[in-house]
Amino acid sequence: MDAIEIKNVGKRLGDFAIQDLSLALPQGSICGLVGENGAGKTTAIRLIMDALRPDSGEIRVLGVDNRSPEFQRVKEDVGIVLDESHFPETLNARQVGLIMADTYQRWDAAAYDGFLKRFGLPLKKAFKDYSRGMTMKLAIAVALSHSPKLLILDEATSGLDPIVRDEILEIFSEFTRDETHSILISSHIVSDLEKLCDYIAFLHRGRLRFCMEKDALRDEYGIVACSKSRLSELPEGAVLGAEESPYGARALVKRSLVPASLPVERPSLEDIILFLVKGEKRA
Amino acid sequence: MKALLKKDIFVLLRQMRIFLLMIAIFAVIPQGNMTVFAIVYCGMLPYTAMAYDERSKWDDLAAMMPYTASDVVMSKYVLGWLTVGCATVLSALSNFLLGLFVTTDFSLAPLLPYMCIGFLMLAITMPLMFRFGVEKGRMFFSLLMVVVAVGGAGLVAGLMDSGKSGAIPKTVLAFIQLGIPLLSAALTAASIPLSMAMYKKRKYA
Repeated sequence: MDAIEIKNVGKRLGDFAIQDLSLALPQGSICGLVGENGAGKTTAIRLIMDALRPDSGEIRVLGVDNRSPEFQRVKEDVGIVLDESHFPETLNARQVGLIMADTYQRWDAAAYDGFLKRFGLPLKKAFKDYSRGMTMKLAIAVALSHSPKLLILDEATSGLDPIVRDEILEIFSEFTRDETHSILISSHIVSDLEKLCDYIAFLHRGRLRFCMEKDALRDEYGIVACSKSRLSELPEGAVLGAEESPYGARALVKRSLVPASLPVERPSLEDIILFLVKGEKRA
Repeated sequence: MKALLKKDIFVLLRQMRIFLLMIAIFAVIPQGNMTVFAIVYCGMLPYTAMAYDERSKWDDLAAMMPYTASDVVMSKYVLGWLTVGCATVLSALSNFLLGLFVTTDFSLAPLLPYMCIGFLMLAITMPLMFRFGVEKGRMFFSLLMVVVAVGGAGLVAGLMDSGKSGAIPKTVLAFIQLGIPLLSAALTAASIPLSMAMYKKRKYA
């Protein structure tokens, strides 16, 4: 079963539109939704959680249509972390625990206390006095303390220092050790997604450019560094994006379309995304 | 709904201690106007809670949690009823206790219509808050206050003209004692589904 299944979803919001979005997150895997600010990542997450209604298409979460009344029950199985805590700033961690105990049927107060201890979060300090790292850790503690099967994380690591980010990514890895657990994580910090994810979905200007297994992505694309003339000799469709300098050219290519004589480097995820965006700007 | 109510009470208690103390003082002053003032102010507390929700973008998170539209909407009504009810009970209790020691002209009889005025204002303004948000919704609330104040002044002037003997006509008394509670109940019954529709419209806009 797919933890999330999106089929041909469209949604217009003023000048911006999500167009024909189709995506599947297999259960037990981690999918990174990557894209620049304003690419549509948060909109996609709001659509998945029925916080926004699509103009067209269909979305199923943990096998249930998100517009059906049963989706209310499914929300119990989904842990949410947004880019900020979104809890009123005068509340403290103890009060949030009390509120969540009445929100989720499977709320585990002992697990929540355990996370607070692990993260070193004070019980009675108001959020307004929390650092961003503490705020995000609290949101993660809440998301993990009601036995979710699916975590949806929207920019959960942005604005955090590398040490805290690493710590948080480790927690997400722990979560997916149970093979029924899945994660959809959106970020514009590509290195975080590269570290964590099995699948990468690249959203650009409201359109899904690709959704592939991370390793398959690296196998499909490559980076070549050669002269400009050599680059221009490559078959049509081989070059997906290039940057030129007085000394030559560097380009993202489709490995299958490049002659074996041309040395091809394995690209990083960041390379792939940057070159694809550049390629589109040139087109 | 219990969770949302709890959240609002935590937020209000922490943030509104001085404000609540003022309301408590107004509620215990044995003077009808002060009681009305306390009750009307209590009727505004759900909007203060909504303002905190908007500021923290709580609604974005709540929309993804297992709260129904009914939970979200009803929690604000119940909060309003609770705060208005508390102000009324506080006023009744304090005046009863005060009456044991000193002679006052305060009567418990108008408390029910006073409380219903609080409910009435909630019923009228709540759908606007759900549709336009607290910022714009409060403008409508202020407008309503002006209408009520001007209307109230007109009513008093009318009563003074008609009641040459100094007594309030029986029909007016009946309206105050029975009509206001009935009107308040009817408008609340219409207001809740309207708020629900407004909330959904805003949520999915």
